[in-house]
Amino acid sequence: MTSHLTPRHPARSPRAVGRRIVVLLAAAAVATSTVAACSGSPSSSGKAGDTLRIAISAAPPTLDPAKADVSAGYPDNLAYEPLIVQASDGTLKPGLATSWSFTDDRNTALRLQLRPGVKFSDGSALTAQTVVDFFTYFTKAAGPNSALLTGAKFAATGPLAVTITLPTPNPDFVTQLTQHSMLSQVISSSGLRDPVKLGTQTFGAGPYRLDTAQTVTGDHYTYVPNPNFYDQARVYWKRVVIRVITNPQTILNALKTGEIDFAQADDPSTIPAAQQAGLTVTSTPVLWNGINLLDRKGMVSKPLADVRVRQALNYATDRAAISKAIFPGTSAPISQISVPDGWGYDPALEKFYPYDVAKAKQLLAAAGYPNGFSLKLVSGDVASMNLVAQAVREQWRQVGVNVQVTDYPNNDQYASNAFGGKFPATTTVWGVLPLGMQGPLLFLPSAHANPFHVSDPQLQSLYDADMKATGDAKQRQDRAVVGYLTQQAWFVPIFSTGLAYYARKTITGTSVSPQAPNASLYEIRPAT
Amino acid sequence: MIRATVRWIGTSAALLFIVTVLTFVLAALAPGDAARSILESSHSTYTPQQYQDLRHQLGIDQPLPAQYWHWLYHLLHGSLGTDLFSGEPIASALSGRLAATLSLAIGGVIVSAVVGIAVGIFSAIRRGPAARAVSLVSLLGMAVPGFWLALVVVELLAIRVRAFPATGYTPFTEDPQKWLQSIVLPVLSLSFGASATIARQVRDSMSEVLAQDYITALRARGVPLRSIILKHALRNAAIPLVTMLGLLLVGLLGGTVLIESIFAIPGLGQQAVTASSTHDLPMIEGVAFFFTLVVIVVNLLVDVSYRWLNPKVRLS
Repeated sequence: MTSHLTPRHPARSPRAVGRRIVVLLAAAAVATSTVAACSGSPSSSGKAGDTLRIAISAAPPTLDPAKADVSAGYPDNLAYEPLIVQASDGTLKPGLATSWSFTDDRNTALRLQLRPGVKFSDGSALTAQTVVDFFTYFTKAAGPNSALLTGAKFAATGPLAVTITLPTPNPDFVTQLTQHSMLSQVISSSGLRDPVKLGTQTFGAGPYRLDTAQTVTGDHYTYVPNPNFYDQARVYWKRVVIRVITNPQTILNALKTGEIDFAQADDPSTIPAAQQAGLTVTSTPVLWNGINLLDRKGMVSKPLADVRVRQALNYATDRAAISKAIFPGTSAPISQISVPDGWGYDPALEKFYPYDVAKAKQLLAAAGYPNGFSLKLVSGDVASMNLVAQAVREQWRQVGVNVQVTDYPNNDQYASNAFGGKFPATTTVWGVLPLGMQGPLLFLPSAHANPFHVSDPQLQSLYDADMKATGDAKQRQDRAVVGYLTQQAWFVPIFSTGLAYYARKTITGTSVSPQAPNASLYEIRPAT
Repeated sequence: MIRATVRWIGTSAALLFIVTVLTFVLAALAPGDAARSILESSHSTYTPQQYQDLRHQLGIDQPLPAQYWHWLYHLLHGSLGTDLFSGEPIASALSGRLAATLSLAIGGVIVSAVVGIAVGIFSAIRRGPAARAVSLVSLLGMAVPGFWLALVVVELLAIRVRAFPATGYTPFTEDPQKWLQSIVLPVLSLSFGASATIARQVRDSMSEVLAQDYITALRARGVPLRSIILKHALRNAAIPLVTMLGLLLVGLLGGTVLIESIFAIPGLGQQAVTASSTHDLPMIEGVAFFFTLVVIVVNLLVDVSYRWLNPKVRLS
């Protein structure tokens, strides 16, 4: 009867049980970290020369060069050899084409001579007909870059000769045949026969080919050398892995720990941290950030039709202050739609619009707006455009211009409003391009970024002359076009920034230049 | 039993239908579409005809009910369709990602439960400064955002100490050790706040149960404290806890979106964000479908656990 009252085990005190729990948790934590430590630090895996690891900030929706956007640039570069290779100093070198030249004096008929003996990774041969079929597919695919070939004709004029006939003169079209344009990524004939596969496989003649067994679409893409590549000396790596890492801070962390070797920095605010971490940072100015005064006809905002008003807004902008506030140390004030050493850049225009509130007020008064006016400005959130909008709103208030900002965080919504003819002005971040590419995108009447289809006979005349010029004459004409746009104040450029690239010291060949601001994967090699 | 099973299947099917319809409608209502997203990605000029051609090519020019019916028809035939852009089958694109997301969410629940229960018991049976300190840490755990903690643990344990990788995910089937290594920091970040919530719940439930007469009687009989806690008190306190763990798993699935981004883990959350930004409707539907399936399975497990833990439910 008494047995059940006798303790079977000595009772543990609450304190003892609590201590036991703490010990168990500590043991679990130690065990986990031991497993991790035994398996070695992640940074110790792989070494330069074996594997190159690159990060890109957005997953390419497709790898099909005809349907892909800019996010597929690096993934496609490795597998698709371009017709023309652009070196990091901007010079053009033979790729699949060994030579190229305009055969007329209007810069409309471009003849390409193809490299003999080239085979794609699938074993098929490169012929002139392959290139023509590729251009035809590119046009019909209705991808984001299909417009590059609108109105163009292409024909095989020999077994290894192709002639592209452009609808209008454009000496800069050659730049669209380098690795930085999807138009240069020639697909093999077997790839063109089965376009569904192009989204997730590669059919190029580049130094590498996609290894689908080691690839997870949208996360990482693994490339191995293409045994058919015509120049094996340019294959520097046994394996290249491209990882998609969307968060800029995560990219920086992965570089610090050695999990990746190279990446483009989408967020310039991380540059100081990258420098502090001992990474190689390369960058050259290539983007201008500012305001596009879209409504130069005064259709929805009458004052903008007057050049004096547009100039007043330029004078009322304190570029140095905005540049310093938004991207300190990584941006520079500018007054023109080009950057130092960029196409059409004129040092004489460097301070064309000094910050001068009195002059701005004087011009507004002369134009009939002594008390200012209201202006609707649309902005997106990419690349701190929204901050630029807030800054100009405050500064232009000093000259009586009441800016009403509409901010669209959704990029599609922003784009449809900014370029849909609804707003007279928009914030913009624009990459400096050769004038022959810039015009049809930015300022010609048909340009997407000219939604009110504003035309100017003098501008058109300068542009037409530019497109027929070559050599030094073309450079002078480039400057004349940029100068006219600056003087007419179609835009309010505020500051320039660069595309920055981060690299670990284990690799080299990541340099960039104003003529080739995008780092070329073809030059990245082991540092030793 | 049969009736309950039929009811569960019916409810689950209805839930799947409602969620996929709602997802379809909400995604379609978002400004823009896949065709515009493609054409405007290069800033180039395009004509209305080019836009319409691309919409036709992508199959998004059909009325919304027709698009949904098309998707449902394929689903009933065992296919989730293909990605609008790459043409990849959605089921294969998502199945690998599901494993990554479940590794984080289930790992988060397990760690939260173990730590939360242990700390909760500790707080319930101990009084004084130690218990107050644990309460304070619990409060802190609930207040600290997971993403902030993620950035801190990456800096400390990946960049400075180099004990764990800062990014990436290794599938379990490829290398179990590297798998464990790759999920430690994300799971830690996910489970810190959840552990605190569970700890408070367990502490309150345990305190209540430990004050019951039958516990006093057991102690008077000399039953060891460990036995009282594990066999009697914890079992009774576990009933509300099971519901909480089910809800927690569903909540952590949502929490993985940010954590996956910070640790560059290819999970469903990352895919959902990418698909939403490109208006890839079939992919968005696929992600919603997978998430809903997980929720249905979790609810089933909670129901089964309830029956096992609580005889009253079994009898009713």
